[in-house]
Amino acid sequence: MTDFIIEVSELTKSFKSQPALRGLNLKVPAGSIFGFLGRNGAGKTTTLKALMGLLRPDSGSARVFGIPVADADRSAELRRRIGFVTEDKELYPYMTVEQIIRFTRPFFPKWRDDLEQRYLKTFELPLKRKIPDLSKGMRSKLMLLLAIARGADLLILDEPTDGLDPAATEDVLRELVAIAASQQTTIFFSSHQLSEVELIADHIGIIDHGRMIVSGELDDMKARYQRLQIVFAGETRTPAHWVEGVENVRREGRTVSILASRNVDAIVEQARALPGASVERFPVTLKEIFLEHVRDN
Amino acid sequence: MLWYKGWLETRFRVLFALVVWAYVLISAISRGVAGHAGPKEFLLAPFVIWLLVPIMLAGAGIHTQPAFRAVKGLHGSMLFTLSLPVSRLKLLAVRAGLGWIESASLIVLVCACLWTLFPQLRQAEFIEYVGVLLACMTPIYCITVLLATVLDDIWRLYGSGIAIGLLWALFSKTPFPRSLNIFRAMGVGSPLMAHSVPWGAVALSLSLAAALFFAAVKIVQTREY
Repeated sequence: MTDFIIEVSELTKSFKSQPALRGLNLKVPAGSIFGFLGRNGAGKTTTLKALMGLLRPDSGSARVFGIPVADADRSAELRRRIGFVTEDKELYPYMTVEQIIRFTRPFFPKWRDDLEQRYLKTFELPLKRKIPDLSKGMRSKLMLLLAIARGADLLILDEPTDGLDPAATEDVLRELVAIAASQQTTIFFSSHQLSEVELIADHIGIIDHGRMIVSGELDDMKARYQRLQIVFAGETRTPAHWVEGVENVRREGRTVSILASRNVDAIVEQARALPGASVERFPVTLKEIFLEHVRDN
Repeated sequence: MLWYKGWLETRFRVLFALVVWAYVLISAISRGVAGHAGPKEFLLAPFVIWLLVPIMLAGAGIHTQPAFRAVKGLHGSMLFTLSLPVSRLKLLAVRAGLGWIESASLIVLVCACLWTLFPQLRQAEFIEYVGVLLACMTPIYCITVLLATVLDDIWRLYGSGIAIGLLWALFSKTPFPRSLNIFRAMGVGSPLMAHSVPWGAVALSLSLAAALFFAAVKIVQTREY
């Protein structure tokens, strides 16, 4: 049986009667790197804040390490085990790198001096520099260091590579994979950068309009999803009812393009039975899966 | 470490308050207490500073505050604070506690200077006077603590000014018992002038402060960020 670090069930949250989460369901397996995808305003940050206990859901339940996030008495215990990197990457403007590390360390009994030293070196963070004098990339790295060195069992990262240059992005992604592998840390991160997610995530979830529309193992998803291209010699035809598993159908001239999520063989058979049809199968990228789902939704 | 963070946030405000008081004291020494009947009356003159310093040091609740400037939009790091394994009650209590200690220390320091500089003030009621100042400053301070839970920096300052003005009007412009007037207790009704402790005003001050702080805690514990 899989252990889930995060379990969210039918979570709803509205802001001034504007729904942000509409019955969100989410399960993040222990030890996974879970990429949480969605358009702007889809509900990603609201979900992350709800998991951190910064927002109170209107209904539904959310548990992290089996502890309800709404349980105020155990909230501090939860946060001791979570490293959180915020979207804005803001830290105290009156502290230096050294001061904020010294400030953060005592809150976490499992603080890892070895990781602190390692990431200070890896990320080339200048100890004496004031936080406002750091670039956004440097601040992102510093936040990651503060999240990682606390010995967290779970990292919740909101757009961790936002604002980073390609080299810094590469550094951060590489280190995230290393942390997940070596520290058995579960990583739950939101991102717009589909190529990055595809590179490091082993599980993904796509949220749109406050609902999870796709979730699962990335490899499994990429194996299941295929694009079928049907080219007709004459007039294009489609059956009255496709076999279950067709996510999207698009026509262009004499070509019909289908995104299939399951029963691919049966769909191919059905397509081949159409008069004058020749069918080709193509693998799909995460970007295609994402775009098809959010467009449809 | 929360005390350390609070100190880094407020140290320039404390320094600013010290400079203002130093200016007032140096003026008093160089010109005597000219314009006042005596040092007691002089003590009433910088009354507004007694009120401004606590407002300035009351801080920003659990918001992150720039070291000195009162500007909007520098509170992103509040989410970092809230991700620490510390209860919101503790975050608020430490920040509010630090600001109160700083305000109280300034009051005690300034009073000690006045006591040293003006032998006329060395009377039995001086200690009581300091105690009354501390008690009556506390609800003024807690008004700002409460407003800081819902307002950003600059609005907190405006809000505090308005709230204190309304409180002053309530005490002064309505048939409110004079014995409960906390502003009067810091001035003409203080032990220095009236030669008795205004216990009613002290009790009201402490009760009001407790109620305001309790309200601030409740807001912080239930507020979404």
